[in-house]
Amino acid sequence: MTTAPLMIETKSVIKKVTTSEGELQILQPISFSVKPGESVAIIGASGSGKSTLLGLLAGLDEVSGGHIVLDGESLHSMDEEQRARLRGEKVGFIFQSFMLVQSLTAIENIMLPAEIAGLAEPKKLAQKILEQVGLEHRANHFPNQLSGGEQQRVAIARAFITNPKILFADEPTGNLDSKNSTKVEDLLFDLNRESNTTLVLVTHDDELAKRCSRQLRMNAGQLTEETPTLKIVSGE
Amino acid sequence: MPTVFQLAWRLFKHEAKRGELTIILLAIVLSVASVLSLSLFSERLQGALTDRSAEFIAADRQLRSRTPVDEAWITKASEYELETAFQLSTRSMVFGKDELALSDLRAVDSSYPLKGSVKISEQVFGNPQPTDDKVQPGEVWVDSRMFQLLSIKLGDSVDVGDASFKVTRVLSEIPDAGFSVFNTDPIVFMSAQDLAKTNITGPGSRVSYKYYFTGESSDLDDYYDWLRPQLDREIHRWTSIEDDESAIGRSIARAEQYFLLASLLAIVLAAVSIAVAAQRYSQRHFDPVAIMKTLGAGKKMVQRIYLLQICFITVLGIVLGVITGFLLQQGVVQLLSGTVEVSLNVWHWRPLAIAVFTGVICAVLFSLYPLMQLFSVPPLRVLRRDINTTLSSKALQFATSGIAVFMLMWIYSQNLKISAILFVSGIILVSLLLAVTNLLIVVGRKLGSGSMGAWTLAWARIRRRAMGNSVQLISFAITIMLLLVVLVMRNDMVKQWRDQLPEGTPNYFLSNVTETQRAALESHFASNNVEGDGFYPVARGRFVSINDELIRTEVTKEDEEVPDEGRRGLGREANLTWSTELQMGNKIVEGEWLDSWEEGEPVPLSIEVEIAQRLDISLGDKLSFNIGSEVVSATVTSLREVNWQTMQPNFFFVLHPKAMENFSPTYITSFHLEEARKPEITRLMAPFASVTLFDVDARINQLREIIDQVSMAVEFILILVLIAGALVLIAQVQASMDERLQELAILRTLGAKGWTIRFSVINEFIIIGLVAGLMAAISNEFSLYMLQTQVFQMEASLHLEYWLIAPSVGALTVGVLGAIGCWRLLSLNTGELLRKMV
Repeated sequence: MTTAPLMIETKSVIKKVTTSEGELQILQPISFSVKPGESVAIIGASGSGKSTLLGLLAGLDEVSGGHIVLDGESLHSMDEEQRARLRGEKVGFIFQSFMLVQSLTAIENIMLPAEIAGLAEPKKLAQKILEQVGLEHRANHFPNQLSGGEQQRVAIARAFITNPKILFADEPTGNLDSKNSTKVEDLLFDLNRESNTTLVLVTHDDELAKRCSRQLRMNAGQLTEETPTLKIVSGE
Repeated sequence: MPTVFQLAWRLFKHEAKRGELTIILLAIVLSVASVLSLSLFSERLQGALTDRSAEFIAADRQLRSRTPVDEAWITKASEYELETAFQLSTRSMVFGKDELALSDLRAVDSSYPLKGSVKISEQVFGNPQPTDDKVQPGEVWVDSRMFQLLSIKLGDSVDVGDASFKVTRVLSEIPDAGFSVFNTDPIVFMSAQDLAKTNITGPGSRVSYKYYFTGESSDLDDYYDWLRPQLDREIHRWTSIEDDESAIGRSIARAEQYFLLASLLAIVLAAVSIAVAAQRYSQRHFDPVAIMKTLGAGKKMVQRIYLLQICFITVLGIVLGVITGFLLQQGVVQLLSGTVEVSLNVWHWRPLAIAVFTGVICAVLFSLYPLMQLFSVPPLRVLRRDINTTLSSKALQFATSGIAVFMLMWIYSQNLKISAILFVSGIILVSLLLAVTNLLIVVGRKLGSGSMGAWTLAWARIRRRAMGNSVQLISFAITIMLLLVVLVMRNDMVKQWRDQLPEGTPNYFLSNVTETQRAALESHFASNNVEGDGFYPVARGRFVSINDELIRTEVTKEDEEVPDEGRRGLGREANLTWSTELQMGNKIVEGEWLDSWEEGEPVPLSIEVEIAQRLDISLGDKLSFNIGSEVVSATVTSLREVNWQTMQPNFFFVLHPKAMENFSPTYITSFHLEEARKPEITRLMAPFASVTLFDVDARINQLREIIDQVSMAVEFILILVLIAGALVLIAQVQASMDERLQELAILRTLGAKGWTIRFSVINEFIIIGLVAGLMAAISNEFSLYMLQTQVFQMEASLHLEYWLIAPSVGALTVGVLGAIGCWRLLSLNTGELLRKMV
């Protein structure tokens, strides 16, 4: 039997921070893996460490121990520049607070990752995907001229423009009302399915988590598998 | 690279449109505009003043010699493209019909004067009018006094040496006549071509040769470099206008230093505003940088994007600044054109280069640290908004900014002393402020713990944001201090200038007044409503020995070294006066004044301190003078400092009356006659034909005009620096408003009353303005003391009124600016306020 290559593989990942009261370990050793095309929800209460884990998985932060491999590339052997390149090539992001560049229009925000990655004709790509998210009429609006739902749709379009292999979403509907939340969720999962992207989604919303193929629960820095068919991964 | 450029350009374009770049752009425009307009204006004004003062030596440079110089030197000057002129001067008897008189004979070539003009009048003691006419061979132009002395009129003949000349003009003034109440004989002006036939320059005659040079500064310097090795210190003396130590020379030198100081301060203000604006700019871009990094942009790409943006802003700022600065300066020149004479040469490359250089250096150096902070923003900020930057050393920021400010000041002023004084004052101010801020926090902790009123909120906010506030306080205080320095310096300087020439400054001097004429003159003046200025007894004595050791002729040569024409007179004969009253403007610096003399002690004498140093005379030395056939000796008991800038008779030597009791003196005196009464002068002095009259009105007017011009220029510069300072304050308040935005939004959301928030913010700014003003006043005293004593050579004084004015104006200005900023924010509804925070 041949093993399919893993999209994310973590081994004994820990994270410690220094506080005024000494060193604090906010992630207990975490090991798990995600296959290509899988959608994984990391659920947990505020302060449980799920966003910290997301930051580590996406190469935004460095581990204090253990290692993470993304699409065959080992993050811990990379410097910040190399991690940035990796993110540009393979990773897309969606954030709770949208994180659009306020001084760029909707279409320019969407073009941004394509331009950074040096893709050809970023504007055409952006227009196409803007249509997909139904905001072609808002192309030249600045973020503060868009509603929260619209801003998040722009952010989703931006995340997909480079056809990333992995998409990290941090509470993507956390700042939206229920109507907009459903719209954004639908859009996110539709695009994810169409582009066969691996999705890692951090949320405290169990309903949203259920739309993913797997659910992992983070509790006080410990990660446990909730999907019964798969093995529990936390611990050595 | 093209992508990076496009991205940078796009960001720049949008942010410029949205007004995000306004403050930083304004700061650069301001720095460039103020430096350019200040340097351009001061360069043009200096050009005009230099030209003006060149008139006093009738050229840009002058070579004085006791013997005729080698003709080749003059030929060489034309190779350096210099214009030259020549004058011979000597004292010679002039014979009229029945009378004779000693004259100050000036024989000139047709090029004289190279700068300034010869003035003549229609009648004796008439109104001086400049003329381009040249004195022709066979004729002489004669001073009004000579007409009196020789009882001649225009068209008469006079004899000089072996030749006869026709008197064709009444001479009023020649540019380099010098000014001295003593020793001045009336001028007789003739053509150098006539010299040979007079035979007056034979062996033994005391003749002075002056050669005049005018041309480009660099050519003059090059020529002097060539000439210098051939000059003999004993015979030759090279003079430039910078050597002018007269009242005018000193006023101009001081004004130049003031321009320099003001420009320096403008640069510092510009630097502060750029630093403030850049810090704000950087903080507002933490999120975009984190987003770009998250989306795959490497650090290098981010650096390129933002450096390019800084380039765009800098270039735009410089272009707008140059245009603004030029227009501003041009406008002011137009506005002042009736009053202030400025050079017609409208464009100077040096100010432009300095302005552009300043813009670039300010933009780059002062945005460097904020940009470094920006570059180091970690991508993780997209998840954790509280993470700002990994670069957190404030000390590094202070050190780099400090060094940058100092280097900029030094490079620009090329004056280590001024730069160091201002810089050290700044450091003292910063240290003081840090201490005060800490004190405030301690005091505020107690005050801020009551119920939630506007004052309590204000104190609480100051306490909580101690570091932010101390930085703000320091920048406010530095701005206010710089403005104070410029303002107070201007006031002190203009006052001192004006004090030199108060209303009613004597415009006529009389000498050769005999004892009997003195009483007659006094009553004559009283009956004619003329206020005299007191009579000084004068005797001319030949200075013969120091401690019975005969003085060698070098003393006379030393006299040639006295640069100021007004002080000449020691050489062959010195003017001695005697009195037990110390003259106005004189100050004893060593020893005791003569009035403490007692019978039996050696007769005392007071000597001017500089001449004493030059002749190596100290307290206790016995000096002897030949007066007529008598020898008078006296012992030096005091050294005096003399203010030569007052238009009063001043003396190198003052003796005790005891020494002079055997001599009948003549007197000198001065009086003021209003403009309207000037035609009366001939009639007024008619009964005293033997008294010598000097009209110094022209001199005084010249001096007054220059002082007025310089004062106007200084006023303009003050206004410009004030505007620069005001803009810096606005930038600072606006920057600090951003920091308050979040807090205001929260307070508003929680339902705090509008006026409570408003007053708390205004009160906070009032407290900051008050403290900053007080600190600025203290630091201002120190800077001014150092500047006035070390650089401007003025008398330092305390400025206690500013201890009240500065805090009040500081509190008011900063409070009002805070109120405006706050009103703008609070006029938004809570929703908009919250959205602005994103």
